[in-house]
Amino acid sequence: MTVVHYVNQFFAGLGAEEAAGHEPVRFDGPKGPGNGLAGAGLTVDVTLACGDDHFGEHEATALATLLGWLDELAPDVLVVGPSFGSGRYGYACGVLAREAGRRGIPVVGAMTPDNPGVLAAEGAAFIVPTGSSVAGMRTVLPVVAALAARLAVGEELGSAEDEGYLPRGLRRNVRAERQGASRAIDLALARLAGRTATEVEPTGDAVEPPPAVPDLEHAVLALVTEAGCVPQGNPDHLPTRHANVWLRYPIDGVASLGADAYESVHAGFDTTDANADPNRLVPLDAARALQAAGRFGSLHEEFFTTSGVDTPVATAAKFGQEMAEEFREAGVQAVILTGT
Amino acid sequence: MSSTHADLAIATFAIGEIVEGTQTGRDGATLIVSPPQLAVGAGEPALAEATVEVVRPGDRVRIQNVCDVVVPDVRADDPTDTFPGALGTLTPAASGTLHRLEGVAVLSTCDWERAGYVGPEELPDSLVDMDGPGAALSPWSATANVVVRGVPAEGAPVADVDRALRRTTLRVARTLAEMTLGATPDGEHRFPSLGVDGSDLPTVVAVLQVASEGPLTDTFLHGWALGDLVPTLLDPREVLGGALVNAAYDWPSVRNVTATYQTNALVRELFGADGERLRFAGLILAPGYLDTAFEKQRAAMLTAGIARSLGADAAVCTTFSSGNSHTDTMLTVRALERAGIAAVPIVAETNGGLTDHVPEAVSIVSAGNEDELVAGWEPERAIGGDVPVRSGEPVPTWAYLSATVQTGDGWLQGVPA
Repeated sequence: MTVVHYVNQFFAGLGAEEAAGHEPVRFDGPKGPGNGLAGAGLTVDVTLACGDDHFGEHEATALATLLGWLDELAPDVLVVGPSFGSGRYGYACGVLAREAGRRGIPVVGAMTPDNPGVLAAEGAAFIVPTGSSVAGMRTVLPVVAALAARLAVGEELGSAEDEGYLPRGLRRNVRAERQGASRAIDLALARLAGRTATEVEPTGDAVEPPPAVPDLEHAVLALVTEAGCVPQGNPDHLPTRHANVWLRYPIDGVASLGADAYESVHAGFDTTDANADPNRLVPLDAARALQAAGRFGSLHEEFFTTSGVDTPVATAAKFGQEMAEEFREAGVQAVILTGT
Repeated sequence: MSSTHADLAIATFAIGEIVEGTQTGRDGATLIVSPPQLAVGAGEPALAEATVEVVRPGDRVRIQNVCDVVVPDVRADDPTDTFPGALGTLTPAASGTLHRLEGVAVLSTCDWERAGYVGPEELPDSLVDMDGPGAALSPWSATANVVVRGVPAEGAPVADVDRALRRTTLRVARTLAEMTLGATPDGEHRFPSLGVDGSDLPTVVAVLQVASEGPLTDTFLHGWALGDLVPTLLDPREVLGGALVNAAYDWPSVRNVTATYQTNALVRELFGADGERLRFAGLILAPGYLDTAFEKQRAAMLTAGIARSLGADAAVCTTFSSGNSHTDTMLTVRALERAGIAAVPIVAETNGGLTDHVPEAVSIVSAGNEDELVAGWEPERAIGGDVPVRSGEPVPTWAYLSATVQTGDGWLQGVPA
């Protein structure tokens, strides 16, 4: 097992503020709090250190040097800090944690919940919450050592609450002590007694409605759907569910989507009615009528389509970004997105 | 709670071991299963073949294309009444005495795609692993399973095949439970009629959401498809007594199987707490997966109206399947809350969080994240297919039958990590 520990100039014994500009350096064996980790059963093989100011001012090069060492050492676990309430030190710990995490190295840190390092880590590290003072070192090191030792042997950690680390923005499944029915009844009775609690909340990723299109009579509109509308026979093999692509089909000069030419391959709803009139998937007939009446300028030359069935939000967000980029370049000012 | 002859009594018989033999029978806690004998009983023209196989926890087997799960039940008063309407004579399921085997389940499997009834990926993989990491996810990995494999007869209409498979599965379940007739049970649970007791305990109702969209996505009440269901007050003991039968084979981890109704945790918990912590005022059977906004809002409104007429202070709202139906659940929560009833929905999460949400839903039970990947496993063999699907590959939780069921029967919960 290989354990690597990252500390700043002070904890590496290089000096205090006067050494904050120290460039990255590596030592065999533990330094400073690394000895405390050893005392708690986690033997540090290599210590990496960097001055806090140096990291902040030369992040790219400092990070490259540190990651070079990590790639060479391929540790089973990386411990960063504890950095307590120190913003600069915490930030360096968080950034290194994020990059190590992306390389598949388990990372454990310790800092205050409001330390900028928590955000910088982007959920890649198990961060034990601390107070702002270094005085908490003695109590936090055994917790850090225990988590790191388990991660190093490939053990999966339990929930943030059970294990005592800060939530990383992820959700994972655990086996509850009681079935959902019993928990639901408790929540209902608690609510009636004035104690509202919940097991899950919405993510809060709400999209702000954009301002109204200022000059609709001259605007370019586009049609987008997740209803799985494709030419008959699905020539480009749009998946019926779990779609990992979106497709485009030309509508320049097309007045209406005929039932003989288009269909829905969406696996999430009964497509009988939609297939009888594919304009109900992509409202081309209505758009052409409004266009003829001068309600808007013109229609983008292609409609975009995918099948939105069990699509991970990340995939859907990526589709949206790709489409938005194209539309922006094409001067499209508004999109009618038909969902199912 | 007083006991009367109008109670539903469920007498339980624990099965510790299941062995194969030439004659189906029971010897104490040992169930003897004769696969050919059970399969021969099929006699359904819409099935070309029906075979029966036995698997036990710890077997290196992946059961796939799983359609339904049924707990072996028989009506001790008259076995021909078992699963009224679906298999037996139409009689109330809410009273009388049932004999029920514990530790055993009857699973039905059918490869609808191979038989040409559905296209590729139209019905997602539906798995029960008897060992490996996935065995922790499905409750049907922990039961000894009698697996019915149905092969459709050439050219038979899909509704006929499904009905034949359903009846065969229910018949096997009944036959196994019949081995207990005349025997002394290990335990008995009594469920009396619900009544107004004048107490000032908080009044709670259950909202049981079901969906019925046609063959392979149906739910049956007394053998009748619930496609035109409007929210209905149903004696909750009908649910436990075998009146509801599943025939929806989509989205394995979040749909309800027949066993989910027979052993429904929410109904049992509410009966258990009745008169102690709360007053259980009734169960509303409500439709989900409705097509239009109007239908969704109407169903939500009607559910809230029934709940209010029952004097409900609180409601627990279950959810059937994923996506669309989460909007039905959330609109129902909104309607209940606006009627002054505290509503607690039970929903599964996805990697993207909640599928739908209304601000009125402030107390939500998580049934777990259906997108979480489960480590790969290599089964030795498959049942319900020739070779194991997804062998050695990570499997999403949604593929494991009942893993994130949203009726309150599940044990999974999503937590911050």
